[in-house]
Amino acid sequence: MNKKKYLLVLFFLGLLTQAQSPLPTVELQTLNGQLISTDEIASNNQLMIISLWATWCVPCKNELDAVAEVYEDWVSETDIKYFAISIDDSRTSKRIKPMVDGKDWEFEILLDENSELKRAFGVSTVPFTVIVKNGLMVYKHTGYTPGYEDELYEQILKFSQ
Amino acid sequence: MIKKSLLLCCSMLAFFVFSQNKTNTNTFFQDFKNSFTASYESNSQWYLNDSKFGDFEEEEHLRSTNFLRLDYSVSNQFSVGAQLESYAPENLLNNSKLYNKDFGLATYYLRFATKKIDITLGYFYEQFGSGLILRAWEDRALGINTALRGARLIYYPSNSIKITTLFGKQRKGFEVSDGDIFGVDTEIDVSSTFNILSSSSLVLGLSYVGKNESYLKSDESIINDIPVLVNAFSARLDYTHQNFYTNVEYIEKSKDLRLNNIIPNIITFSENETFKGNALSWTAGYSQKGFGVSYNFRRLENMRWFSERIQANANNNPTNQLSINYLPALSKQHDYTLANIYLYQSQPGLFIENYEYPFIKAGEIGQFIDVFFNMKKGSLLGGKYGTKANINMSYWANLASDYSDPTGIPYFLSDNLTYETEFINFKNKLYSDLNLEVRKKWSKQLKSIFTFINLYYNKSVLESKADNSSVRSWIGVVDGTYKFGKGKSLRLELQHLSTNDDARNWMGGTVEYFFNSNFGIYINDSYNYEESKIEQDTKIHFFNIGGSYTKGASRFAVNYGRQRGGLLCVGGICRPVSQNTGVTVNFTTAF
Repeated sequence: MNKKKYLLVLFFLGLLTQAQSPLPTVELQTLNGQLISTDEIASNNQLMIISLWATWCVPCKNELDAVAEVYEDWVSETDIKYFAISIDDSRTSKRIKPMVDGKDWEFEILLDENSELKRAFGVSTVPFTVIVKNGLMVYKHTGYTPGYEDELYEQILKFSQ
Repeated sequence: MIKKSLLLCCSMLAFFVFSQNKTNTNTFFQDFKNSFTASYESNSQWYLNDSKFGDFEEEEHLRSTNFLRLDYSVSNQFSVGAQLESYAPENLLNNSKLYNKDFGLATYYLRFATKKIDITLGYFYEQFGSGLILRAWEDRALGINTALRGARLIYYPSNSIKITTLFGKQRKGFEVSDGDIFGVDTEIDVSSTFNILSSSSLVLGLSYVGKNESYLKSDESIINDIPVLVNAFSARLDYTHQNFYTNVEYIEKSKDLRLNNIIPNIITFSENETFKGNALSWTAGYSQKGFGVSYNFRRLENMRWFSERIQANANNNPTNQLSINYLPALSKQHDYTLANIYLYQSQPGLFIENYEYPFIKAGEIGQFIDVFFNMKKGSLLGGKYGTKANINMSYWANLASDYSDPTGIPYFLSDNLTYETEFINFKNKLYSDLNLEVRKKWSKQLKSIFTFINLYYNKSVLESKADNSSVRSWIGVVDGTYKFGKGKSLRLELQHLSTNDDARNWMGGTVEYFFNSNFGIYINDSYNYEESKIEQDTKIHFFNIGGSYTKGASRFAVNYGRQRGGLLCVGGICRPVSQNTGVTVNFTTAF
């Protein structure tokens, strides 16, 4: 009986789904250990991408490597800013800084060590990519497959107009 | 059962259908929708009998765990939320039986937050520093949730000072712990507070965490004062100057009882002697564009800490439920199946094992080094598209110690046994590894990753075997991806593990094909092809086939096969899995 009620609740939640909700307010850290809120970064950037990743996640690194190759073009054509937010906890968070520089990634890197943002997004796996326009989340995607960056760029073009 | 599955399918379908519906114009409803977020995750497993392992002997073959999280912003300042969980008919294999309800309210909160102040009542997650002193967190894939139920107040006296105070009881399945936890954390961004060090940054942190839990002595005649309150203090510092950075954290934990043995179901404590704990971690690094190096040192002594003393028994609590702090292994977290067979697990606890003499495990000491570099496009090694490399080394040892017992009883059963450790001594080696990883792009279509690992694993001590067994092994992996365009791609991965020890040689491979960026299928296999004493890993194919479908923030994945324990990374997602045979279905969505 409980199960049925549960499923009924789920069904009605389906009705409430929305395409555009505000970016949740969560406190993140910079690589230097300073605090920065998602509100701050959203108010300074009209169009941006937030991508959750981790140093131990191969598809995440593939995605960031692939985006890094074309990032310069993306920025010059659409003025987009890409925030790669790591969910690495203390097990692996010390690897982020040398990895980011060693790989020559030009993104903004922030830390979500206790998965507050990941939880606020309601995702259980990484990578997870969100396009944020004027503080609203307008596009979400979970996972990375080779070549997906082209599709992501089409979405960016759509929202940059 | 079929009826239930059907209902489940219907509700999933509803998500897909209604999530596309954007035509509603009612503003009240729109506002409500915009302040409301929810996410749902379902993991189901159907355990099958296995021709090699034998029948699945537990009663429930089909199990499912479900998480529904709801958050609602009442206004800019007020928000409320809850998480509903269902473990029907019971939790997945190997996961904790504390999570035992068919359907229940797991966590809930009420939060008021402004720029100056942030108050949470109910359940909350928190981490002080790197988590060595306190971490309340959730990892659904690992089956862990250590949220605290109580109150938390965060106060920002200025932009660069943050003060957190909290108290609560820790989540224990659908109940809470006996012990109370309270803590204070202060974080000061010194460089911006005093407007100094313009080219540098300095962040200082100080924490206190206490646990209060009553204790009933087994015998009234014990005169030793048994601490009800255990206190831990920590200080940490993050300093960055241009390309250099360093981080140091030290924790001291006051005297607490020692768990007397690790025999299942009989839990006693060393009531005559209590022991302190401490932890030191230090990182230093240098990085510039195209090159990064970091060195890490960590020493942990008697740092396992639970909100209920009895949870320290590793046999009864293998998944570390009710752990106050977070003590992960600091070695490279591997991405490939064969690299996840001989994994180092951190050794932070105090255990005294009884062989012909007491064997003291008081903690661990070790270090790891990471080097990343990018060989530029057009250079000799970089080639047309550039080459990226990573070298990683780690070394971990059991703390060197001497024991003594004033009563002269040379067994760990003695309550009077004490020990002393050396501060720096790396001689009791537990684990070491060397990892090389090279990522090379050959053309616009073809990319590859080459991985080489050489490792030493002290099985005797790490798995408490007392047989002097150890594993020396090397692992090689070649991983290539070819893009056909329009989201179509093929990935081929070949792995080999070589060793003359333990279960000896393994080989493995994966073929993965994406029809487009939403839909992919894969097969993979790991096969131990040599005779060895380890029967459960000899000449058995760990074969899997599966696929995934993704749309927006929703994902549906199915897998059939036999699993070893480890991290499984296919279909664009990584998650740890435990040994079993059967069908796995995962569904996640956020809206």
